[in-house]
Formats: sequence, C-alpha cells, structure tokens
Amino acid sequence: MSVGGWPWVQILVTGFALGSFYALVALGFSLIFGITRAFNLAHGELVVLGGYFAFALWKFYQVPFLATFVPCVLALALLALPLCLLLRGLREPYGLNSLVVTFGLALLLENLMLVLFSADYRLIRPELAHGNFLGSDFPFSANQILLVLMSLLATGAIHVLLHHTFLGMALRATIQDPEAAQVAGINTNLMAFAAFGLGGMLIGLAGPLYGENMYLYPTAGTGATLIAIILTIFAGVGRIRTLLVGGWLLGLAESATIMTLGSKWRELVAAMVLLILLTFRPEGISTRRQE
Amino acid sequence: MKSFKPSSAGAAAVALVMALWPLFFPDAALYFQVFGVACLYGTLALAWNLYALSGAISLGHAAFFGLGAYGSALLNSYWHCPTVVAILVGSLASLVFGLLWALCFRRLRGVYLGLASLAAVEVPKVIIDNWDSLTFGSLGMTGLSRLPTLSLVGWQAALGSDLQAQYYLLLILAVLTAILVKQTMASRWGWALRALRENETAAAAIGIAADRERTKALLCSSYLTGMCGALYVHILGLVEPPLVFSLQISALPLIFSIFGGRSRFYGPVLGALILYPLEQLAFQPLFPRGHAAVYGVVIILTILFLPQGISVWRTSK
Repeated sequence: MSVGGWPWVQILVTGFALGSFYALVALGFSLIFGITRAFNLAHGELVVLGGYFAFALWKFYQVPFLATFVPCVLALALLALPLCLLLRGLREPYGLNSLVVTFGLALLLENLMLVLFSADYRLIRPELAHGNFLGSDFPFSANQILLVLMSLLATGAIHVLLHHTFLGMALRATIQDPEAAQVAGINTNLMAFAAFGLGGMLIGLAGPLYGENMYLYPTAGTGATLIAIILTIFAGVGRIRTLLVGGWLLGLAESATIMTLGSKWRELVAAMVLLILLTFRPEGISTRRQE
Repeated sequence: MKSFKPSSAGAAAVALVMALWPLFFPDAALYFQVFGVACLYGTLALAWNLYALSGAISLGHAAFFGLGAYGSALLNSYWHCPTVVAILVGSLASLVFGLLWALCFRRLRGVYLGLASLAAVEVPKVIIDNWDSLTFGSLGMTGLSRLPTLSLVGWQAALGSDLQAQYYLLLILAVLTAILVKQTMASRWGWALRALRENETAAAAIGIAADRERTKALLCSSYLTGMCGALYVHILGLVEPPLVFSLQISALPLIFSIFGGRSRFYGPVLGALILYPLEQLAFQPLFPRGHAAVYGVVIILTILFLPQGISVWRTSK
C-alpha cells in the first residue's frame, strides 16, 4: 500500500472486475437485441429483480450465497419467456413499440420491487466477503474474484455456444439475416425463444452478483440498462470479444472516475459515453448501419 | 370555411364540465387536488406530444421537467424572484437544454433517439444531485414560495393555498395549451411536422426544412415541460432530484399521450384526465406503495390492443 502507484493498481483492478461484470450484464441484452431487434429497456430492472430474489433467499431463507445462483438463473429464464411472447405480439413500427412497451415494463417492475422490497438500499454480504483470505497485499478482494470468475465463465460459455454448436450457428445466422435464416430452414421464432431463455439465464446470473457488489434499490435498473445499451451499440451484436473489451474500457473509465471524483459521479460516465457514442456513431463502432 | 367538428365540440364539453363541477361540490378538496394535478400532467403530455408530432418518441422529458423545476427553485431561493417570474424565467433552463439536445441529437431518429433521450436525463440529474453547494444535492430544497394570490376588483384567488383556485389555474393552463396544440396541428407547421414523421425524405423534397421545424417543436415542448416542472415544485413547495428526474416523470406524458391518442389534439389531456385520477383515487388506496405500476400495465395493454389510443377507438378499422 505504500507504493506510489497503488491507486492506479486499484483503478485497474476495479475497472477490470467491473468491466467483466458489465460484459455479462450486456451479453443477455445484446443476444435478445440481435435476434429480435428489440431494445429491452426493462433489462436492468430484471437484473435488479434477480438481485432482490437472491437477497431474499440469502437473508430470509439462509440460503448460502453461492447456492442462490441456481434458482435465480431458473426464475429469470422463466420470466424472460413471457416477455418474448409479449414482444412478438407487437405491430409496426416494431422498434419504437418494443421500446415503449419495455419502458412500461420497467416502470411496472420498478414499482413492483418498491412494493415487495421497499425503497431501502440492500446489499448481499456473504461470509466470503469478510476479510481477504489472500492477504491484504493482494489487490483483488474475494468478491471481485468471484465477480470476474463468474462473468468470464458465462461469457466464455456463450462464446463456445455461439461458435461451436449447431444452436449457436442457427442463432448467429438469425442475427445476421433473419429472412435468409428462415429460407435455410431455421425456425426464427424458436431462435427468439432461445435468445430470451439464454438472456434470462444471463440476467439471473448477473442479478446476485449485482446484489453483492452494488447496492440494490428499486430504481437502480436504469443504470444497468444504460450499460447494456452502451456495450451493445459499441460492440455490435454477437461479438463477444468486442463486448468484453468495451466492458473493460467502460469499467476503467468508471473506476477512474470513482477514484478521482467520487462514487457519486459514476452514473454520469455511462450516460455521457452513451450520448457521445450515439451522437457520433449511432450505427455502432463495428457494425453495418441497420434499417 | 368554419366546419363543425364533433371532436372539438366534445373537447369543449369536457372542458366545460371540468370547469363547472366544482361549483356544485365546493368542499371536494381531494378531487380538486387530483384533477388539478391531472390537468398539469395533461399539459405535460400535450407538450410531449408536440415533439412527438415530428415522430420523435422521447423517453427523457424528465430532464426538461427537472431543469425547469430547479431553474425556478434556484431563482426563487437565491434571488427571491417572485414565483411567477421564477417559473417563467427558470423554465428557460429547459429551453437551453432543448437547444443542446437538438444540436447533439440532430442525426438520431426513432429508436436511437429514444435511447439517447433516456440517457440525457442522467446528465442534469447527476450534476444537480452532486452540486451540493448550489442545489443542496440529494437533500433538495424546501420552503419554496407558493403560488401568489391574485386579486381582481374585490375578487381574490389564493392560488397557493386555495385548492379550488389552484385547480382552476391548472385547468386553464391545460385548456390554453390544448387550444395552442390544436391551432398548431391545423397550421402549416403542424402538417410539416407530421410530414416529417411519415417520410422525412419526401418532406424535405417538398421544401420542409427538417432540422429547423423539428427543433422548433422541441423548443416549444421543452419550455412548456419546464414550466410544468416549475409549477409543480411551487405547488409542492419543495424540490429534490428523485422527485423531478424520475423514470415516472419521463413515462407519464408518453403513457398519457399514447393511451389518449397521439393523433388528436385532445388525446394527451384525455389520457391524463382518465388515468391519473384512476391511479390516485382507485389504486392508491389499494396499494399505498407502488401504485404507479398500473401505468406500466396500461401502456403495455395500449400498445398491444389499442395502438392508436382511445380517442381513435371509433375510427380505427
């Protein structure tokens, strides 16, 4: 700690951990957007809902924190499937309608969480958070190791799924050109279900991690949604490695802001990055223009 | 070319009923309050719809609402501006933000504009939340001066304390804004905006200056929205960031407009007059917390089953 460069190490480590998590948050969003072309503005609210679910299990039913992942993943995947049906029923203009509907859903979920969990700030503090078993000199805390590990594992798993399985190939085909995929015999409706199922599982995985690393409160979702939108626009759809790089860059920017200006300015970073991104490259950094 | 339109007559009849019922129930304080705020939100929705005429779906009108609120509150508490002056001048903050918005987002359309507007709220919100020395941060500001008392030859209206007078003020505001929007929609400019919404290239080809017309609509919308925000905090007497920069403030004008029907001038007000009292009078007693969830349900159902809004119920299909 006496080293002069210590804050920089801290910024890098925090940024890396945050960024890996952001990639996980954005991954489900970008899969759903890629397959259905719907920006799901309730994404962040679903993540926070998953966090609350894990919090309730951990706090009231004494479920060990690591065991909350399984029910959360299952529950959120089940919750995402009706959302798929809801978005399928929309008429033209599809993009704007899906935006408005998911905006309404975000408002609904926000109020639902207010009823169920009140407006208090909640944090999951499992046993492994107490003390740093690797010694105080090691820059990563146990929390951050778990965060990075889970995020990278999930991201890696999705990468393998997309690039080394038949389902992944069908999903990528649907992302690239839904009509051509249909001509080739791919059931795009089924692909939409698969995307929402996978997206829901990723949300369910992100939820408990969110609750462990950031405070849960009913209106916390907007921030997570913004992050998912930013990374999806930055990386384009189905590009997992770019998504990770984007996540790390954003995480670094945020951790640098937290260290220099204070944690209250963190939210502004994501918003400003999104505005700059939209102002100069609305079609994304590495994708072709859509519509 | 005066043509009699049933829709205008209907709107006038509703306005008349809204103006007359308090004479028969002078003690219904709760109803004055609820319908007064419904009129305020109706004005807000009308302002939102003015921008939406050009095809822009804004998910971030809370930015204008909050800036107007804070602009007015700061003028009022630092320089002790009279309330009316503070409201009219403070709303200029929203106008300035509208100019910035028009400048930064001029290339964005449709979904991407919606996303940008969602992020745009965060900027003034975080700055105001953190600028403790000026705005008292998340503590907010209390003790703002209430609306003044009007006196006209022996007749007085205490807009600040008398709920009935306040109700009439907000009703008049909503009616005036509705008339303004009606005139706008019938004017060349109104048609130019709708032409932009339908097909920008074709509109530009017949000589509509797309950016200029859209910016004009946004500026009118932002100033009106700011004024609603300023009025709102002076009615309450306090302001704090989560109160005015909330997702809900962004969502309400959109929900009221789409539910009421965006293609009729009275649609947004109609939506506000139906939904807000319904939520306040029917759902709040049932669910003291989180009663605003009903808005989420309403907008989802509206988009699914009634995408044109209820004012187009008869004519659709």
